[in-house]
Amino acid sequence: MFSNYLVTAWRNIVKNGVFSAINIIGLAVALMSCILIMLFVREESGYDQWLTDSDRLVRIHTAYTMPGQPPFYTVRSAGRMMEALRDFAANEVSTGVRLIQWGTTVQHQGTGYAEELYMVDPTFFDVFDLPFEHGDPATSFSKPMDLVISQQMALKFFGRTDVIGETITFCCHQSQPYVATITGVLKDSGKPSHLNPNFVFYLNPALFQNDTNVLHTWTSVNVYTYFKLNAGVSPEQFQQRIDFWLNNESPLIDMAKRFLGEAGNGLAVTDVLNLKVMPVADLHLKAKLDSGTMGDLTPMGDQQMINTFSLVAILVLVIACINFMNLATAKASKRAKEVAMRKVLGASRTQVAVQFLSEAIALVLIAMLVAIAAAELALPFYNDIIGKQLELALFRDLNLLLSLVAIAVMVGLLAGLYPAVYLSRFLPGHILKASKSSESAGSSKLRNSLVIGQFATSIVLVVATLVVYGQTLYSNHVDVGYQYHDKLVLNIRAANGNLDSLKHQLQALPEVSSVSFSSESPTQDNENNTMFTLVEANPSGEKVDGQILNYYHMDYQFFDSYGIQPLAGRVFSEEFGADALSQLAEGSHDLGHGSVILNVTAAKKFGFSAPAQAVGKTLHSDQRHLKVIGVIPDIHFRSVKFGIRASVYMVDPARYAVANIGFDTADVPALLTKIQTIWDANVTMQPMTLEFLSEMMAAQYQDEATTAELFLAFSVLAIIIACLGLYGLSAYTVERRTKEIGVRKVMGASVTDVIRLLIWQFSKPVMQANLIAWPIAIYLMLDWLSHFPYRIEQWYLLPICAAVGLLSLSIAWITVAGNAARVARRNPIRALRYE
Amino acid sequence: MLKLHNLSRIYQTEDVETLALNDVNIEIAEGEFVAIMGPSGCGKSTLLNTIGMLDSPSSGHYWFNGEDIATYTEAKLAAIRKINIGFIFQNFNLIDELTVEENIELALLYHNVPAAERKQRVANVMDKIGIGHRAKHMPSQLSGGQQQRVAVARAVVGDQKMILADEPTGNLDSAHGQEVMEILQSLNAEGTTIVMVTHSPAHADFAKRTIRLFDGRVVTENVRAA
Repeated sequence: MFSNYLVTAWRNIVKNGVFSAINIIGLAVALMSCILIMLFVREESGYDQWLTDSDRLVRIHTAYTMPGQPPFYTVRSAGRMMEALRDFAANEVSTGVRLIQWGTTVQHQGTGYAEELYMVDPTFFDVFDLPFEHGDPATSFSKPMDLVISQQMALKFFGRTDVIGETITFCCHQSQPYVATITGVLKDSGKPSHLNPNFVFYLNPALFQNDTNVLHTWTSVNVYTYFKLNAGVSPEQFQQRIDFWLNNESPLIDMAKRFLGEAGNGLAVTDVLNLKVMPVADLHLKAKLDSGTMGDLTPMGDQQMINTFSLVAILVLVIACINFMNLATAKASKRAKEVAMRKVLGASRTQVAVQFLSEAIALVLIAMLVAIAAAELALPFYNDIIGKQLELALFRDLNLLLSLVAIAVMVGLLAGLYPAVYLSRFLPGHILKASKSSESAGSSKLRNSLVIGQFATSIVLVVATLVVYGQTLYSNHVDVGYQYHDKLVLNIRAANGNLDSLKHQLQALPEVSSVSFSSESPTQDNENNTMFTLVEANPSGEKVDGQILNYYHMDYQFFDSYGIQPLAGRVFSEEFGADALSQLAEGSHDLGHGSVILNVTAAKKFGFSAPAQAVGKTLHSDQRHLKVIGVIPDIHFRSVKFGIRASVYMVDPARYAVANIGFDTADVPALLTKIQTIWDANVTMQPMTLEFLSEMMAAQYQDEATTAELFLAFSVLAIIIACLGLYGLSAYTVERRTKEIGVRKVMGASVTDVIRLLIWQFSKPVMQANLIAWPIAIYLMLDWLSHFPYRIEQWYLLPICAAVGLLSLSIAWITVAGNAARVARRNPIRALRYE
Repeated sequence: MLKLHNLSRIYQTEDVETLALNDVNIEIAEGEFVAIMGPSGCGKSTLLNTIGMLDSPSSGHYWFNGEDIATYTEAKLAAIRKINIGFIFQNFNLIDELTVEENIELALLYHNVPAAERKQRVANVMDKIGIGHRAKHMPSQLSGGQQQRVAVARAVVGDQKMILADEPTGNLDSAHGQEVMEILQSLNAEGTTIVMVTHSPAHADFAKRTIRLFDGRVVTENVRAA
């Protein structure tokens, strides 16, 4: 019996070549999309799941929600929290660890390498039970400066993994190199993690004795804090315990009172400061929710993007299934005689249904094979877009293989169920006697609504693509307020002490038009915020409360080199001598001085509606009186997607971290070589970090650009699949209406009349699909756009929708026209005689 | 009205050549009622389709109203056909999705007749054929005889001079067949030329002349005494 099914199934696939090809290609394209998206989703959601007791590991994130201030979120926490929480919540947690991420230089055999170091408490391996290649997690951290490195780093620096007892020199901390002894080598797990433990270093608290903002603070957030929960304790229970501690037991109660003054009346600590517990297994996809504008240890994933693309995969698959259902029921009349004969010969309805289901599954399995091959071919391009190294290792990954087979069977059932039920319902007597059309009004209505659904889905996807793309373009072209082309950004942290000589030599290069130092270059974010108080009354005569404002430091050339003009007053200038912050001796109670520049938003915070009003006023901050010498426009120092902050600009050479190098040359590679030579001469054994500002700007929008590219790719696929279906359906319809078209032609209809008739028949569902899709797309995209402070205007959506509407119609026409023209030209008598 | 001279029609497939019409010479005058008879496969339908300009001869001449149309293009043929010829088929060939009225109106749609006039003419012809009470029905709700009457109405609503009927009674029982024949006869009486293929000698008797075909040739021609 089954072989008979197979034979009929195979002959039907071969006989209906075009329909089978449409089905297989459509399904294969959809399954390929599905495979690609699934690989990505699997990788993204597999982060840290593999860690021992991963369900018991949590990290603490910090959120400040001070009244009157913009909220501040970070995945880090204050240095003293770990110990305090561990001691207070001894029932909930067994152990905790702090981690400090430290960009440093490894000096090895005369060369400097930029590397990233984790300084951790010795409990690190109690929390993270990472596998060791050499050494023992229990004993590897016996004293400060002990160092565990990854297999990869061992190979990089020593060419072998058995490197216990070797030493590595890091440079430098507070100008001192420090030497660490390797006590363990980590095995390369090959599995994704938010940790990238290349160098794990037993944190020596002595290193931070002079830096009170790292370990000995309740408020500055510079460490990552992890805990291991006791067995049976949920993250929620730990969260409740933390909240109780914050509001009832913590030193933060008094600090909040002092800091907030009257504004703090009636507020609990958790109203202004929250420590949020997040399971480590969730970090990769969910840390973004808590991270504010700052990042995590490694690039974060995005749960929303995972959800979106999973949905896209499902939609594309559903579109392909609809094709299958449509074509199968459309062809039903052709197979009605077979069904009838089988029933006459004794087949039950179930047997007929099973036959058609097996046929569907067989077809999907063929499509799956094609899809796997196609996915393999597409993978390199796909990896390129998403910046990952995914692979389709079917034979090494049984789970993957099984899930693909499961998907194929499920899709086969989904696509085949309706046709099976529909076809098996035919009554033999009815069909065999009257060679009547078995087409019922119901089934053609259903097909029509399925086509509408397909096209509506594709149209929503295309509109979304265009909006995402348009927004990316827009973000890239927003006037950021300064000139960022032909600029290089050189990291100068390692060149401390040699800055003057470096600057002079760089300026002496003929290609270099300007060199200026600053604490950050544009695109480099910071969360340096402090309290500024207006000393005088503001124009409305009110006394304004102190404002917590964000600040940057730069030298006298900075604003000129970026072409930023003051709206009022002046920018920093050496002609005035006293712009730099005066340096205060340790423990001094003197009042210092200096000059500041505000942006327009900061000036408004103090009540200056016109920039000129602010010039000449005085701000008090951090034991200094600062004269406002100018107001500049609201420049987008960081990504426009974060909006404008009220910012203060000051001159403090101690804070310089980057050199902003303007250049004017056609031979950029030569310039880079010259800069490298100057760097090497001034800074020994330190790698140079030099980047083009324009590339740094573009990198800010990489996420959106990737989303746009993926959207584009998958929505084009969706449209292709929908068109395949439309093509098949039109081919079928034309076949079914052959007789009608014959009659019309005998009555005198011309070829054009017939083509017009058919094209209209297929335009209608596409137009209806547009009417359904537009409001959905507009609603979704307005919601998406609302997350951007600077976004394309809302009315842009209308022309986008209209354009997509026209596009969808013309695609539908092109798809249908061929079939329509073919049948319209046919001699009608064939249709009428040989039915 | 029309004259076929030495007309042949050859069907060619990959390896078989079928001579469907072989050197046929026929003349039909305006107002005639001609029956074409002969066994299955003798070329009756090919002859009818050729007369109806749905098929073109392989060789020979076809004068229609004095024009030799044997080599005309399809578009030109279609233009002549649409004004002059109405068709009736054995299997009715009504469009299932359209009502009786709409099916009949279809013939006028392609003649650029204004809507009001179309309605009037459709109503007139339905009264004449006796199906006015079925105007809003779908073909599937009618009996075979009624469906064929609709087809007849559709064939004449455009004032066609000639009706080509391919076994118009083949799918009907004798009573309904008789009805349809009577309608055709009355149309002929009003001046419509009718060419009809039939298997039924009784129905052939309605015609004034009978042409017998065998293997693509005209074998006999009988003219019934008036």
